[in-house]
Amino acid sequence: MESILFYAFATLAIGSALLLVNLKNIARALFLFFIVLFAMAGLYLFALADFVAITQIMVYVGGVLILMLFAFMLSNKELLKDLQDSSGSFLSMPKWQTIPVVLGFLLLMLYGIIEWQQAPPTWILQARENNTEIVATDNNIHQIGLRFMTFYVLPFEIISVFLMMALIGASHLSRKERTT
Amino acid sequence: MLDTILHILVPIAIFTFIAAFTLFAVYAERKIAGFVQDRLGPMETGKYGSLQTIADILKLLQKELITPSSADKILFRIAPIIIFVAVFTGFAVIPWAKDFIPANTHTGLFFIMAIISIDALGILMAGWGSNNKYSLLGSMRAIAQMVSYEIPVGLSLIAVVMLTQTLNLNEIAIGQGIVTNGSIKFLGIWEVNEIGGLFAWNIFQAPHLIITYIIFFIATLAECNRAPFDIPEAESELVGGFHTEYGGIQFAFIFLAEYAMMFLVSMLGVVLFLGGWNTPLPNIGAIRLADWTTGLAWGIFWTLAKSLFIVGIQMWIRWTLPRLRADQLMSLCWKVLTPLAFLCMAISAIWRILVIA
Repeated sequence: MESILFYAFATLAIGSALLLVNLKNIARALFLFFIVLFAMAGLYLFALADFVAITQIMVYVGGVLILMLFAFMLSNKELLKDLQDSSGSFLSMPKWQTIPVVLGFLLLMLYGIIEWQQAPPTWILQARENNTEIVATDNNIHQIGLRFMTFYVLPFEIISVFLMMALIGASHLSRKERTT
Repeated sequence: MLDTILHILVPIAIFTFIAAFTLFAVYAERKIAGFVQDRLGPMETGKYGSLQTIADILKLLQKELITPSSADKILFRIAPIIIFVAVFTGFAVIPWAKDFIPANTHTGLFFIMAIISIDALGILMAGWGSNNKYSLLGSMRAIAQMVSYEIPVGLSLIAVVMLTQTLNLNEIAIGQGIVTNGSIKFLGIWEVNEIGGLFAWNIFQAPHLIITYIIFFIATLAECNRAPFDIPEAESELVGGFHTEYGGIQFAFIFLAEYAMMFLVSMLGVVLFLGGWNTPLPNIGAIRLADWTTGLAWGIFWTLAKSLFIVGIQMWIRWTLPRLRADQLMSLCWKVLTPLAFLCMAISAIWRILVIA
């Protein structure tokens, strides 16, 4: 049952991602992006990362995607035509050149998986020995919260200061110039 | 095998409930509107017009599905389904009685916040797919409003979670009645574990949560796109807002989602602030009112009674207050509700450190 669900999510993610890059209609592509993100969130659940899965939906679907749709709907059509025509840009490549890039990534991942299976990291072996593996019913949020406020408190604070800067910058940019 | 059947039966039961609730709520809404405006409301179909909503839904079911010729057909068809499913999924983690909950997860509250934000995407999809000025304007307004009002909602939820120390809605509800293992203090002073009832509810455990609940109530009213925050579907300006082009069963689903959302946020507010399925009657000496009125059936009864009461208040407000202008709506959110919610959150933090711990 669970493996059926896993493969369903995986096919959904890959299939809609493939369709997404081939669509000419940007509005539909953005809605397909939602399906990709949602299926990815489903896959996170299988890694017992329910908090990450929900954060994915909250941040990407509820925030980023809505913002992208808004930006898309408010921008004019001429601007979008420039975006669609990507022949002059730096990142565009002829189609055949993408194949080596994709194959390279695939090989890298295969290498990783094989290495991992031959010699699992010591922390995994330790957890298996001490029976401290995470199971699906564990309360992960408690652990995450404790870790954030103790072990990872510096990165956490740096990120929050950074987000604060972005917020203040955005509100400053959108402010009307004072007419004096 | 039994588990799988249960996993199918529970959503069907919830769906049936939502459909029944909507039928009842539309009738109640019309009667309340009639009462507020000093008229009778529906009177023709059945006794006191009680069959009016059944007649309406039969009419909707028979209608032809019309897709505008210039609409984006796929998006137009999918949008009502996404809107409804997003709200419907939210019911998965809300408890009806002690341990009587479709999915008892540790991330319950967070899950609801995330899944409700998909509703906004469905509305945007409907507005864009209809390919109609009024629909698009309506959905733009809806999103601007929903995204803004998610902030006071989120902050008021954090104010509660700081005190309860859990995101599990089942445990939050348990912590507000006589069945709890922890200690409950009325206003942070008077230990009421034995007495229970009204005194054990979150809003009375920490009095600043009363203000937080009012913030939550106002903000969720805006999330549901209901008057006085109904500028997304303002009939006098936008025909019908994002669902202008919908008819028949598709419109019925959008309508169902709106009423399901009303009930969902009422229920969420009840679980977080008003004691969930806990009884409001306290134990008074030998008269063990709280003990007598706690149990599975009583739990469901109290959840329903409290939520329906809140839904009733939502309807009362809808027919009493005029619609807010767009700029008034935004300044209410950003200049009043958000700072107040931040203040409540700060008080919660201090309360947690000084009073509880």
